[in-house]
Amino acid sequence: MVSIPHPLRGVARPFERPAGPVRTGRWVAAGVAIIGVGAMLPVLQKSTLTSRGFLLQQHQAEQARLTSEIHLLEADVARLTSQERLERRAHQIGLIPAEDPLYIDVSVPGPEPAKIPAEFLPPREPTVEDPAPWWRSLLSLLPLPR
Amino acid sequence: MALQRATSMLRSWLPVALLSAFALVLLGRLVQLQVLRHDEFAEAARSELDGSMVVYARRGSILDRNGNVLAMSVDTWDVYVRKDAWSGPTGTDHSAALATLLRISPVDLRTALEQSPSLNVRVATDVAFDLGKRVQAAEITGVTLTPNSARTYPEGDLAAGILGLIGADNVGLAGLEVAYNTVLQGTPGRAFFERDTTGEPIPFGRFVADEPEPGKDLVLTIDRRLQRMAEAALKGAIQKHRAAGGALIMMDPRTGEILALASSPTLAYSTLDLSNPEQLNLLRNPVVSDLYEPGSVMKTITAAAAIDKGVVTPGTSYYDSGSIDVYGVTIKNWDDQVYGYQTMTGVLQHSINTGSVFMVRALGQPDFHRYLDAFGFGQPTRIDMPGEAAGIIRTPAQPGYSPLDVLTQSFGQSISVTPLQVMAAYAAVINGGNLLTPHLVRAIAGPGGDYVEIKPEVVGHPITPRTSATVREMLHAVVEPGDYYYPGKPRDYTAGGKSGTANVPIPNGYDETQIASFIGFAPADDPEILILVKLDRNADLLTGTQAASPVFASLANQALHYLGVEPDDVRFVGSR
Repeated sequence: MVSIPHPLRGVARPFERPAGPVRTGRWVAAGVAIIGVGAMLPVLQKSTLTSRGFLLQQHQAEQARLTSEIHLLEADVARLTSQERLERRAHQIGLIPAEDPLYIDVSVPGPEPAKIPAEFLPPREPTVEDPAPWWRSLLSLLPLPR
Repeated sequence: MALQRATSMLRSWLPVALLSAFALVLLGRLVQLQVLRHDEFAEAARSELDGSMVVYARRGSILDRNGNVLAMSVDTWDVYVRKDAWSGPTGTDHSAALATLLRISPVDLRTALEQSPSLNVRVATDVAFDLGKRVQAAEITGVTLTPNSARTYPEGDLAAGILGLIGADNVGLAGLEVAYNTVLQGTPGRAFFERDTTGEPIPFGRFVADEPEPGKDLVLTIDRRLQRMAEAALKGAIQKHRAAGGALIMMDPRTGEILALASSPTLAYSTLDLSNPEQLNLLRNPVVSDLYEPGSVMKTITAAAAIDKGVVTPGTSYYDSGSIDVYGVTIKNWDDQVYGYQTMTGVLQHSINTGSVFMVRALGQPDFHRYLDAFGFGQPTRIDMPGEAAGIIRTPAQPGYSPLDVLTQSFGQSISVTPLQVMAAYAAVINGGNLLTPHLVRAIAGPGGDYVEIKPEVVGHPITPRTSATVREMLHAVVEPGDYYYPGKPRDYTAGGKSGTANVPIPNGYDETQIASFIGFAPADDPEILILVKLDRNADLLTGTQAASPVFASLANQALHYLGVEPDDVRFVGSR
């Protein structure tokens, strides 16, 4: 004997809509989307890596160029501070080599070094005071002699 | 029927057999390629895919003792042209474009390409970095640039004989560049990478690199100001006395640090032409590699040995008759003078040959040679320069030795030394008796901030501090005799020293040319500098006292002022 499910008496039950194919379609779409995204992700990653790689190469080349330029600037500084150049410049501004130095024996102390104006002194570091402990504020509430 | 079946069987099995045979052949070939010759083909595939390149390390700089740059490397480019890329009708345009940028003749450029057997022809070397970038930016077909580096010398030819030079492969050829090549050169790196069809590394492909380790910087003991003074003083003296050449060395006798070292003829970057065989001689430094007979400068060493041994004192006297007859030979004084009764200090003051013979006879040959050995004669000083000579001392162990040799050695003949050996021995005489290794490098500074100082190295104590103080006083009496003017006295400082004038030896005798020299120190009681001035074949035939000692006096005065040494002997204009 076969038992047939019987609807409850007095309760109107709506017809069930054929939901199966719709639900399956969603899942399939979601699955396809996930698979699609999953498939695209490595491609995107690879693409990003490649473009970053080229960017890195560009930065490395830029770093090499800047390093070379630093060396060139160092060479320029060395050339500009060479003795020959300094002598030439000294002649241009009318300096001549010192000759026949005279020595003075002074027994009194020299003047005090000039004071540096405050504007050229380094800023004074602010002193941070330790905050008073919280319980000290409670003491003010007590009738203690001041 | 049977025949028909047999034919049918053949028809069906024949293709099977043929296909099987073909499959077997394929299988065999596969086994051959993938198993038997696997390594060979894997290697071939790797060589196609894998690229590698040498990453050059930057060569270290050479600085003076105050950190001023004497030599440094800057990045440059070598320009190559691929010949076949310029073979078409547009080749002329390309060559014109490149020639304009490089400022060379397009005709010369094309001729160089045609004459070269290589496919890739280097058309320019050490092109300036900025110019190379402009050539790169122009993107001329067939032109490639490879990085290189070039040595630059901000002080020009200053100290070129010390610094030396490097070759096209950035390896030291002469001077400190070769002596410290391994320190300066660093360690080149090598990069291994997967490459694309253009040969460029594939980004994020397999990449293994040994980073290059940049070369370290050398901090010299040389002071560029003192070096300039020394070179100018030597040049002036050579011109004034019409000498063929010369040398000038300035040393701190307390540490063995060479403060300045000039020689002539010497290497000069501005006129260097290595295709000229005569200029190849300039690659060695005569101060360390050339020998000469020092002449009367040696009398100080004889006196120091005799006093240290206790056989004479500065006040020991003897009678000078102007000459001595020994072993059938007459040894005369250099000026044919007769000085009568003289002390040992007087022997140095008047540079009396017979007095020197008196001292060495009192000392004896074995002890004299022991002292010469202790002062470092006959052996290299181990200075940090290539090509150092050891010198020659005739001893009884050598064939051809005569007992006369030890007598003439006492006043600087029959002995060959380098200027540097004389410096080292004199430093020991005046610094308390410490024989130091002369050196040119004060410190080695690494790129990471590490700084290794090279300490003074005492290699012996040939005499006692007491003997040293005694001989220093005697040499002071040479320069400041009190009763007559001596041209080697610096104006503002006390000093000591000894001159030497020696004929140049030739086989079986001496020729008429001479070497005039003076070695002196200042201040007298606490020497801070020791200077040797040597003039080779001065045509005016002035002696060491006349020609070389004034150079010392002037240079010592300048140098001590520059070093901030308080003068001993100056005119004070005011005192309160």
